[in-house]
Amino acid sequence: MTKAYPFEPEEAPPEYRGIPWIDPVLCIGCGACANACPPNAILRIDDPENGTRRIVLDVGRCIRCARCEEVCPTGAVRLTAEFEAATDDRNDHVEIVELRLARCRGCGKYTCYTERQVEKVLSLIPRGILDFDRVREKLPLCSECKLKLTVLNATKFGEVEP
Amino acid sequence: MIAEFEARFGPILEKRTLGEKKVLYTIMARPEDFQNMVRSLLAGQNVRLFTMVGTDERAVEDAFSITYWFADTSKGELLGVRLYVPEDKPVFPSVAQFHRGALWFEREVQDLLGVEAEGLPDRRRLILPDDWPEGVYPLREDFKYSESPPGEKRYPYARPPEGTSVHAIGPYHIALDEPAHFRLFVRGEEIVGVDYRGFYSHRGIEKLARGRLNYNQVCFIAERICGICGFCHSTAYAQAIEEAAGIEVPERAEYIRTLLLELERLHSHFLWIGVAAHLVGFDTAFMEVWRIRERVMWLAERLTGNRKTYGLVVVGGVRRDLLDYRRELVERELDVMKREFNDVVEFLLSSAGFIKRCEGVGVLSKEKARAWDTCGPVARASGVDYDVRRDFPYAAYRDLSFEVPVEKEGDVLARAIVRIEEVRQSISIIKQVLDAMPGGGILADFGDIPEGAEGISAVEAPRGENVHYILAGDRNTIYRWRVKAATYNNLQTVPDMLVGYTIADAPLIIASIDPCYSCTERVQVVDIESGKSKVVRLGVGICR
Repeated sequence: MTKAYPFEPEEAPPEYRGIPWIDPVLCIGCGACANACPPNAILRIDDPENGTRRIVLDVGRCIRCARCEEVCPTGAVRLTAEFEAATDDRNDHVEIVELRLARCRGCGKYTCYTERQVEKVLSLIPRGILDFDRVREKLPLCSECKLKLTVLNATKFGEVEP
Repeated sequence: MIAEFEARFGPILEKRTLGEKKVLYTIMARPEDFQNMVRSLLAGQNVRLFTMVGTDERAVEDAFSITYWFADTSKGELLGVRLYVPEDKPVFPSVAQFHRGALWFEREVQDLLGVEAEGLPDRRRLILPDDWPEGVYPLREDFKYSESPPGEKRYPYARPPEGTSVHAIGPYHIALDEPAHFRLFVRGEEIVGVDYRGFYSHRGIEKLARGRLNYNQVCFIAERICGICGFCHSTAYAQAIEEAAGIEVPERAEYIRTLLLELERLHSHFLWIGVAAHLVGFDTAFMEVWRIRERVMWLAERLTGNRKTYGLVVVGGVRRDLLDYRRELVERELDVMKREFNDVVEFLLSSAGFIKRCEGVGVLSKEKARAWDTCGPVARASGVDYDVRRDFPYAAYRDLSFEVPVEKEGDVLARAIVRIEEVRQSISIIKQVLDAMPGGGILADFGDIPEGAEGISAVEAPRGENVHYILAGDRNTIYRWRVKAATYNNLQTVPDMLVGYTIADAPLIIASIDPCYSCTERVQVVDIESGKSKVVRLGVGICR
């Protein structure tokens, strides 16, 4: 009955939800996981000065509910079968994915979405339905430039007095 | 209960129907009638105080609201009486003066909301830490979610009676598994009085739901209220929301919930029987029972993905289906469990040592059990025939047949026997659930949760009733979430159970209610500071 557990590996069953892991290759930094996470184990931290976004996963705070896995649009967050979380360094519990923020085509400032998010959105748009190159032209715009463009377009079509 | 109340007080009240046999009355004209109403309600043969909710409704009504919920266990009716307490004079007449079960509710509302009960027999602080400043109330809307004001104070413990000495059990003690402080006033070996101070691990969950979480995130936080009956809490919460928003849960989801609720009862009762055996010094039985408990945890792991039935309930249903291979696992394990459990019980109950330590110890009379509104196995061992599963059926319990074991003696042995019998009932319930499992979906589609909708729901946890109350806010948030765990009432009776017995019996008596302090202590997220200048903060994400 007694197992030699720490000295021989113990496997979790296939249904088990263990420690989550973010695949840095697949992650687009949208932060859907951070929005869904009940205990705030995943945070989305923007640095608009240096143009980076960090998705910070703290396993020490995670409750293994797998809500992040459910909402992730690219399948980057996965719950592994790993259950051993003991460590003497809290940094071992933290996984950081750092991504570049996209630059605004209008003013050149950093926008509030990542380059990979832009790529993802472009990949979703079916060719031929929309004028693809025009969309491509406009896509990375910061919220201010977007607002300006909307006003400009509205005046162009006579909806608003210039 | 509702018809009588209606006939007597109906004209002066505003009525609101929440559901079938569930009504809420609001006092409009004469608040001085409040005590009479409560008195006449509690005079009923099978009426118990279900829960009490204090809400800061100043944004809408310019007043705090105090709602007492009563349950008629023979008719399956729920009735709420809501009293509005003005902001400038937040005082209402105390119910605890004549009904002891209301004591903690009123002390809590005084602590967290700053609404005072006039004539409250024990006016000391209940929940807030000793060093919390006066006049700062965390559950008020104008209190900031992240605040934690400093202060300095000592707790006014009860004075020991003449000629007695104080023997402290807790906050940390080898016989306790969670922090709680029992001050036993002893004369020689005999306990003559008890003072209790708890709530050392209050976690601010109600405020968390108001401040940060959306309605579906709460399910996963609700599970963390208790380490054992987590599934009961999330189910009770989900049911309350489903009632408020009128969501129809698919039948299959209800059956899966029932299955897991019963699995959790098995787990909890195995745990308790093991602990009881350990506390009387019968460690062979302890190890044996916990070995069987391991089977339940293994099964939970296969069914839910977590050894503790976590993360399965969401509003509107469940997240994982009971696939055929999992069903076979349950069937196989149950047979083994049943056989092994019968052997262990025979072994345990044939031990004279175990019987002698439990028999006639920690007696709780039926009158006291009713006066304190105890629930679960503690109430049933004292002859109170009450079980939420039967009296307020939820999930699939309407379609299942099971017995509610009731004992008369009210001692530790009776509580053990009630739990042992419940294990057998649970095994039979799980078998029925597997046989009658309907097909279909497991998650309902639903729209927004209407603002101002209310829902109240109870689930029979292994320890008794868990009552969750929901008042929906705007944009799918929760305005007020009230949790009443089973231990909340059971723990209040412990001082009564302890008096008259010896110090040696104290750990067993305290353990006999299967106390779950974290269930009771629902509030406060703590930053853990360790050694020297190094600060480890949970939740910030980046550690330095």
